[in-house]
Amino acid sequence: MSILSASLGLTRYRIIEDVPKETLQEVPEKLKQFCFIDIDATADERSFGWTNIDDMLDMNWTQSPPEKAEYFTFGLRLDTRRIPPAVLKKHTTIAINKELEHNKEQGKNFVSRDRKRELKEQVTLRLRARTFPIPAVFDIIWNPPANRIYLATTNAKVRALFEDHFALSFDLHLEPLTPFFMAMDILGEEAAPKLENLDPTIFV
Amino acid sequence: MDLSLVERENVLLGQDFLTWLWYKTDGENVLFALEDKRTFSLHMEQKVSVQGGEGETKATATVSSPSGELTEAKTGLIHGKKVNKAQLLFSMDQDDWLVQINSADFGISGLKTPKISTKDDEGDDPDGKFLEKMFLVERCLEMLDIVFTQFLTLRMSKEWNEEAAKVKLWING
Repeated sequence: MSILSASLGLTRYRIIEDVPKETLQEVPEKLKQFCFIDIDATADERSFGWTNIDDMLDMNWTQSPPEKAEYFTFGLRLDTRRIPPAVLKKHTTIAINKELEHNKEQGKNFVSRDRKRELKEQVTLRLRARTFPIPAVFDIIWNPPANRIYLATTNAKVRALFEDHFALSFDLHLEPLTPFFMAMDILGEEAAPKLENLDPTIFV
Repeated sequence: MDLSLVERENVLLGQDFLTWLWYKTDGENVLFALEDKRTFSLHMEQKVSVQGGEGETKATATVSSPSGELTEAKTGLIHGKKVNKAQLLFSMDQDDWLVQINSADFGISGLKTPKISTKDDEGDDPDGKFLEKMFLVERCLEMLDIVFTQFLTLRMSKEWNEEAAKVKLWING
């Protein structure tokens, strides 16, 4: 989702560690190092990585730099190939029938379970090579002075993917600003024991 | 830290917060102040969801009403449910921000900021639109944080029992 969307979904994070100046200077370089790699010409099921926030096809940041005022901005691009289950079922059946005919000629009236599995894998691969990957981009805005990172989605799978790829790229760990972590951020670590022992309020 | 504990605290704080917020902003126009002393108001809008019970007995009631009539959800509060999702309308000067917030993780959805200019004029900063949008998004989050901080201070203080009694009166009233 684009940060410019009229109706925006957002997850907020903070970085747990102190971020050294050198790490911040290395951000553009790290983005390129862990950028998205195209899978149009392969049969890979999915691929993900960083890309330019202004242009999802620009993995070299030639259109614009990731720095905008005090922010770092980039996109998490995720391409996925998905074969519709009905299509897979149809082509697997065709392949098994063909194999059965072949077997009958040799006097064997069945296709073994292992061979069926093998055929299904072959069909999956063949179909995948013929399917276009569906691209998706999720905007990321990093505000280092405020120690805030915004991811333009609340989707749990994308969130997990983003958290892992961010840690891998920058060797920094993210904490989602859920009510508890938000409270810790506001009140400080020393409030932890008190926060952990809260009882829910009974209003009625 | 124990993740199931974090999850429990998230739900507890988030639901207490949104339930309190409904009480706080219902009917009267409460003003909150930003750090630069500018004030804003806050209302629960059109859509609210209340939840109660645990595990298999968990029950949710969602009310969506264009006229802002949310009595069915309030009936849920009488039966011990708490607010788990709410649509909030922040107003400052002439500007409005509409946002939906989830109590369990503070996930934000449907965030509508005041409109930004969409046409590109020659000589404009190419990042102008982005920076204007970010200013508005961060302003909304700042307002949300101010309200949450106010709740948190109260929630951790001795005055909370008194406040909870007021919420109870409001629920039953």
